[in-house]
Amino acid sequence: MNAYDIIIVGGGPGGSMAAKTAANLGLKTIFFERGRKPGEKNSSGCGLGPRLWKDFPSMMKELTPEKCPSMRAGSAARNYFVNKEGVVAGYIMNHPTESVSYEPAKSWITMNCYRSEFDPWIADFALEAGAELKTSTLITNLLKKDGKISGVVDEHNNKYEAPIVIGADGAVSMVAKQSGLRTKWALDQITVTPQYDFQASPERIDDIMGDEALAVWWSAIFPASYQVFFHDGFHQGLGNWLNKWDKNPLYYLNRVINLKYYQRLIRTLDAKPRELQSHLLPWLRYPYNTHTDGVILIGDAGGFPCPLEAEGIYPAIVTGKAAAETAAEAISADNFSKDFLSKYDILWKKTSVGEEFEAGEELYNIWKALPFSPQETMTWFVPMFMEVMGGIFDWSQPHAKRVRQIASQIKSYMPKALPFIMKYVFPLLAKIFEEDLDKMMDPQKLMSAIPKIMDLLPKKKKRRDET
Amino acid sequence: MNFNDLTKHISGSVDYISIDQNKCNRCGQCILVCIVNLWRKIDNIISISEDYKEKCLECAACYQVCEADAIEFQYPSGGTGIVFEKG
Repeated sequence: MNAYDIIIVGGGPGGSMAAKTAANLGLKTIFFERGRKPGEKNSSGCGLGPRLWKDFPSMMKELTPEKCPSMRAGSAARNYFVNKEGVVAGYIMNHPTESVSYEPAKSWITMNCYRSEFDPWIADFALEAGAELKTSTLITNLLKKDGKISGVVDEHNNKYEAPIVIGADGAVSMVAKQSGLRTKWALDQITVTPQYDFQASPERIDDIMGDEALAVWWSAIFPASYQVFFHDGFHQGLGNWLNKWDKNPLYYLNRVINLKYYQRLIRTLDAKPRELQSHLLPWLRYPYNTHTDGVILIGDAGGFPCPLEAEGIYPAIVTGKAAAETAAEAISADNFSKDFLSKYDILWKKTSVGEEFEAGEELYNIWKALPFSPQETMTWFVPMFMEVMGGIFDWSQPHAKRVRQIASQIKSYMPKALPFIMKYVFPLLAKIFEEDLDKMMDPQKLMSAIPKIMDLLPKKKKRRDET
Repeated sequence: MNFNDLTKHISGSVDYISIDQNKCNRCGQCILVCIVNLWRKIDNIISISEDYKEKCLECAACYQVCEADAIEFQYPSGGTGIVFEKG
């Protein structure tokens, strides 16, 4: 009989971490992957952050180019600002700043590698710990005995028994559905993200991009688009919530590709499109319905991607570990009730993922209203920001006159910018600094003060000899 | 760009996407969000392209976006379907 202590549906980074943790705790563990190997069904936007190395040092130090040839780390990020005419109106390149406290994070911001290499690499840790992996296996339902979860069944009616099942099966989770935790996401909880992979030579990437690991293309004509550089290629993708599209998502992604600036970059890098991918990505204010009797959901299946930028690998790994630890306690106590498994929520809330979600609603709201509302917000945000950053580069006027022109132009954006700041920026700051909004500053006062400050700027130039 | 040049599939025989015409409200959201344009509306009937198994990226956006719950989706048979080598 196929009897186990714990079953994990899904062989991505979260499922593998859960399997590794469970096997290390002495549990008879099996995990399932529908692809022929882990990672061949996955596309991923961004890279691995230094916090993975901080939290899992012994494992992460084994991630080497021999095992993941696509690895590329970089210390810089570039932000492009594209205006409503489709012109790159400016860009900023950033290295880690002086306030960064974790020493290794001063020299690199993300390590990027393809999922087709990373996922098998992390699955190997589970195998070494003694977990069993079944690939090319689609799990189609949960088994129930006397109303309780008793295992899973695959598409060929093979049955696997265990008193607890971890759903690590991604955004469209069979485990979530069959356990009654969730049928579908609401449209404002799930994004669709098409993505191109481009091939380019490692030498060109290094020569042209230098130490840049990624770029974000902020724009008034498409939702923010990310670019991630690997050893011999790069991803260009974008996403938005399913209720935010008025045209096909690929139409907007192609707008990025067809920018004059982007075409120039492609020519310079001698880059060729290599693969087209698409995936769903849950993006929530706060995870909920994370467990029930005999079932725990982790990673994308549980809605754990970061509420700010929806990075999912780190939260999947952290919640995978927490889920396996909870399952081990449940097995010791022989108690798989929803109530007992609520220890899982206590565990993940104590992690850095839990801390991230403390400001989840505010992060989600500002992100949705800014880069993912290109027409409503970015049409004024990009030119306003560009006035600040680059307005002074003009030699057609005396500089003092330019400053007045810039100030006046910025003032013209205030009817749109101020309500935005009140609605999204202050609540976020208040949350982060754990102070009540009105204690921090009185919005009414500020509303009236800012235009007054702008009014202090002289309308007409006073001549020096008049003063 | 031709999508087929940019995707690789392992063919499988089991159908995994279907639409229930009795539930479909013809809203067309599935047509809007499908990255590889597999859905179409002909004579006010929405259907998926017959060769979808050779083209589908398995993102399930059509399934998620369908508020009428008319679209049934299950991942294709283990070991078949889309392969992302550079995902």
